[in-house]
Amino acid sequence: MATETALRKPRRWGGPAASAGRRMLSPDRLALPDYEYLAQRHVLTYMEDAVSQLLENREDVSQYGIARFFTEYFNSVCQGTHILFREFSFIQATPHNRASFLRAFWRCFRTVGKNGDLLAAKEYHCLLQLLCPDFPLELTQKAARIVLMDDAMDCLMSFSDFLFAFQIQFYYSEFLESVAAIYQDLLTGKNPNTVIVPTSSSGQHRQRPASSETSALEGVEASLFYQYLENLCDRHKYSCPPPALVKEVLSNVQRLTFYGFLVALSKHHGINQALGALPDKGDLMHDPAMDEELERLMAQVPGLLTTTTSGTESGCPRTSPRLGSPWRPLHHSRKVDAESDGSTEETEESET
Amino acid sequence: MPPAANMAEAPLPAPPRAKMVAFPVPGQPAEKMAEKRRPTAPVAGASEARRASPARGLATESEEEFLRQAGVTAMLRAALLKVLEARPDEPLPFLAHYFDNLGLRSPANGGAGEPPGLLLLQQQRIGRALWHLRLAHHSQRTAFNNNVSVAYECLSASGRKKRPGLDGRTYSELLKRICRDGEAPEEIVSPLLRKIQCRDHEAVPFDIFRYGMLTCFVLLEFVARADALYEVLDDSGQADRRVCQAVLDTLEGALLAGDFEAPSRYLEAGSQLGPDCLALAMDRALLARKPSSAMLRDEFLEKAASLFIAKVRPVG
Repeated sequence: MATETALRKPRRWGGPAASAGRRMLSPDRLALPDYEYLAQRHVLTYMEDAVSQLLENREDVSQYGIARFFTEYFNSVCQGTHILFREFSFIQATPHNRASFLRAFWRCFRTVGKNGDLLAAKEYHCLLQLLCPDFPLELTQKAARIVLMDDAMDCLMSFSDFLFAFQIQFYYSEFLESVAAIYQDLLTGKNPNTVIVPTSSSGQHRQRPASSETSALEGVEASLFYQYLENLCDRHKYSCPPPALVKEVLSNVQRLTFYGFLVALSKHHGINQALGALPDKGDLMHDPAMDEELERLMAQVPGLLTTTTSGTESGCPRTSPRLGSPWRPLHHSRKVDAESDGSTEETEESET
Repeated sequence: MPPAANMAEAPLPAPPRAKMVAFPVPGQPAEKMAEKRRPTAPVAGASEARRASPARGLATESEEEFLRQAGVTAMLRAALLKVLEARPDEPLPFLAHYFDNLGLRSPANGGAGEPPGLLLLQQQRIGRALWHLRLAHHSQRTAFNNNVSVAYECLSASGRKKRPGLDGRTYSELLKRICRDGEAPEEIVSPLLRKIQCRDHEAVPFDIFRYGMLTCFVLLEFVARADALYEVLDDSGQADRRVCQAVLDTLEGALLAGDFEAPSRYLEAGSQLGPDCLALAMDRALLARKPSSAMLRDEFLEKAASLFIAKVRPVG
């Protein structure tokens, strides 16, 4: 859906006729059996959740009316704010929820990246738990492993490195489990055709081929790996990255390791776009509307703005003092205090 | 502010418990529904187990009772049926819109208060009719026809004094609203409106109403398609007049030759508009050594629309 609209040139005038035109381009959904249509779009997941939310707020609901409650609920689902502070099982229940969570994480903690702070996996995990109290540590660690290439796990990472690795790990979680199994089989010379999509995350990829670490033949052969992945994408019921882009990633190299593959996925511009939750890396810190809103909110909190700008209501963004205070406790001693916008140069440090 | 808005904007951490509710779906027992749903939500398995445990049985029962008494079950059932009937591409915004409209209609919002003015009432009725008309695309003919008849009923149930029925004034206003919301240029739609409008005092029978609505929606889509076509022809900021004219002529040839009673005519028209015929015509137009000029989008759209409108039978 998203790509379809993105590919279209903007119409001079749209309206219902234009959207009707788009609707007609995908008539296959009209041919689906009812349950498949509902399942494909997760309608029942949301309806059920709406009802359980309604039951939790029973008293308040009777005051405003049920229809109003459902309106608000589905509006917040559309805006992606419905996942805030919800339990992990709900957050990962649909691709839309996952994308919404990624977006929320980015928008809430963008300031971390903007200040150029480097954090360790544990600290990123604390940030994640602010949005989702029962967020599993395992997932954060897996994302960190992508950034750090499964090495030196207590290293510090830049916000953008972590975010893009986390995106791949979180959004394509089930797909990556299967990929890990295929990789492992290829590495040990087994035929990965027998791979069954794992449903639990226990006991998988501890591969790290200790013997071949120093040899030039580390990892698996890219073209063979792709054959199996293509097959996997075909039959995978969870979200996969677009196969054409996976092919692109794998066609650039002869051989690669599992983490090499994940790093390439996480840095791939097209995969990020196809997923559609986050902006391009270059625009990650760029959100003037949000900045303005933040400045406005900060100005309202007494005591945050020390001295100076109290005279002007509007508050001039450029000259106001650094406002990162909510995240102060997380600042690391290594942090450079000078204004630094880019995370790229620090990225190099974190990877070495 | 209702609770859900709180949840959306400044939510408080909710205790992480997943309360599953079994609300019945028309014709489907809850268990069967859960079973079908399993592939979509990897977490469903765990919550089903919780639901099935005897300790929760009592609570679930009273919750079900509450949902039924408060009308939630019926409301969701109706919503789900609407979703299935319309099969929107994006069901979640559809549902938001659906419930929003439902909320506006409920007696809690104005219905029980002072009786609104006649004009306001009329506007409300038109808004409601429009909403019904837009629920399903006109190509889904059964759903569309259903919605048209609901819209017709909405409009013809008028005040106490008047006799029920739809007058030409309301019908014309509705047509204008559809065209306006479709954002089609005035000069394109007015020839159509002239053909399908009724006089203000005339009673509009259902057949005419349906014909008018359908024609209006099809024209809007036709214009949107023509717009997309222009987009293709216009590759360097300006579309070549000769090529545009060739395309329009081909379209005219396909549309005007003969009547459309015989089914084979549809196939013939389709083949005339196929890539090979069209490409030949465009090629020929480009080969003709005439000075080239540009055709503007508005002109192209107007010409294309007039081809369509020429085929519309006038009412009355």
